[in-house]
Amino acid sequence: MNRIVILCVEDEAEVREAILRDLAPFKPQMRVEAAEDVDDARAVLRECAQDDDPVGLVLCDHLMPGVRGVDFLIELMKDPAYEATRKVLLTGQAGLEDTIRAVNEARLHHYIAKPWRAEELLQVVRNQLTEYVLSTQEDLMPFIAQLDGPRLLEAIAAGKRG
Amino acid sequence: MKPGKRVTGMTSIKWMGLLLSIFVFFIPFIFQFEELSVAGHRVLAIFLMAIVLWVTEAIPLHATASLIIFLNILLVSDKAMMALPEDFKAPTYSSFFYALANPVLMLFLGGFFLADGAAKYKLDKNLAKTLLKPFGTKPSNIILGLMLIVAVFSMFMSNTATTAAFMAVVLPVIARLSPSDRGRIALVLCIPIAANVGGMGTPVGTPPNAIALGALNKADIHISFLEWMMMIVPFMLILLVFCWQMLVRLFPTKAETITIEIDSAYDRSPKAIIFYVTAAVTILLWFTEPLHGIQSAIVGFLPVVVMLSTKLITDKEFHSMQWSVLWLVAGGIALGDGVGKTGLDKWLIGLVDWEHMAPGMIAGALCVAALLFSTIISNSATANLLVPIGISLTASPDIAISPITSAIFIAIGSSLAMSLPISTPPNAIAYSTGQIQTKQMALTGVFIGLVGMLLFIYAAPLIWNIFGIMPD
Repeated sequence: MNRIVILCVEDEAEVREAILRDLAPFKPQMRVEAAEDVDDARAVLRECAQDDDPVGLVLCDHLMPGVRGVDFLIELMKDPAYEATRKVLLTGQAGLEDTIRAVNEARLHHYIAKPWRAEELLQVVRNQLTEYVLSTQEDLMPFIAQLDGPRLLEAIAAGKRG
Repeated sequence: MKPGKRVTGMTSIKWMGLLLSIFVFFIPFIFQFEELSVAGHRVLAIFLMAIVLWVTEAIPLHATASLIIFLNILLVSDKAMMALPEDFKAPTYSSFFYALANPVLMLFLGGFFLADGAAKYKLDKNLAKTLLKPFGTKPSNIILGLMLIVAVFSMFMSNTATTAAFMAVVLPVIARLSPSDRGRIALVLCIPIAANVGGMGTPVGTPPNAIALGALNKADIHISFLEWMMMIVPFMLILLVFCWQMLVRLFPTKAETITIEIDSAYDRSPKAIIFYVTAAVTILLWFTEPLHGIQSAIVGFLPVVVMLSTKLITDKEFHSMQWSVLWLVAGGIALGDGVGKTGLDKWLIGLVDWEHMAPGMIAGALCVAALLFSTIISNSATANLLVPIGISLTASPDIAISPITSAIFIAIGSSLAMSLPISTPPNAIAYSTGQIQTKQMALTGVFIGLVGMLLFIYAAPLIWNIFGIMPD
């Protein structure tokens, strides 16, 4: 089965490591990828596309050298291949204007302010991936153990009722 | 991944299945069997193809069903594309299409509407909340309560939907238990087990029951809703209590108390009340057929008419119903029809020397065959393939079992198969929670299969005869 990709874009190595550590519980089932800037992120997306692995979630910093996070998310929104992808900003330095653009133009799904708590991050990622799976996957069962089980089960029940 | 990139989703097993199904289809056209009519050869071809397609699921189960109807019409109906012998009384092509509107399907559709309404107005959750209260907080009592409620619900709703809905309620409870508490295994396993067992209880409980009833109807044998329940429910309850005891002994709960929180309140809107009344009247009429004589399929159409005209079921909900389940059952009915009308049944029976076999053994063998088959393949597909054979057996003077026993045993046998995650969708759901291992499911599943089998093959016919429940 193709694995769902969680892509984390963050320029500071230490912060990136911390995020990856927090996302470790998703690793057996999901493909967790990290990129240090937007160019790198695009390369990762190309690789995933080649492997036919769908991108479920992009967790993105805003202030980075080169293209900024919000602009990258807007770019993703315009590509039909990543329309369903859940888009989350994980940043401490996005100003009001950038945040508004992220909401309006990139349909931002969630904003996590730095510093974050591991528990909060896990919860957000779990909920966002549950939404992604509900909107894109026909077979929900493989995700019950890892994501929001009760919600997925309710959806299965609704689909099989009558 | 670009949308639309994943095109077929065909695995190599499915490709093999597709090729093999075409290959076996041509066997009866190439090899001629003595004493089998021309039409019988053609239905044999359809039958062989159906076996391969239903086992490998090379195409969706209901697609196979539609193919069966189509091929029956093209090959052995009065509008057949290939000439049939003059002396063969070909069934009309419309008789094969009628399978799609068989009264049993209408009965099942009624069940769909009730289940949809129950979910929409949260009647299922609310009833569960009310009914669970008397069972307190002691883990073993809670498990018994859950099992009884799940079983009752799955008598009227799909086993899969019931399992998914109740598993959603149980998962948060399990999350609060200590990881070393084996009680979590009992809590997860009790739901699919109760749903699988509960499905046996009524004609609308699970598709194999409908397939059995549909085939019996074709043979002019009518079993009422109540008769089915009187035959099955007592044994279903005994089996359920056995399963409960097995689970609480094998996987005792360490926690002293557990509480199941269901957050919902009874809906008192006018639409909800129309639904409650409709559901109550429908079920009451199903239970009282001997008093008024209105057949259960006709009663089953009542919620359909009421809920559509009051818009309790919207267009969108109507469109997203599980029509594929009905088509699958229809495919089985059409297959049985073809087998019966072309003499394939008599030829198949002639292959075996039945005289030396006790009737009980034959009935038992059918039940065992159904259990083994449906451990691996879909319960409905199992019933679709075995019921026509089972019913035709009873046409032979050498074999002293009634068509009712034969058809019901196959339906029950296919519901008893629950030893693997792939055996039934409820099992797959339980397994997908990540809380149990296959070996635990296999252990309990094999036990239940054996005990259920003994109960139904040995005890049930005895009791049926003593109390005269068995309809003639």
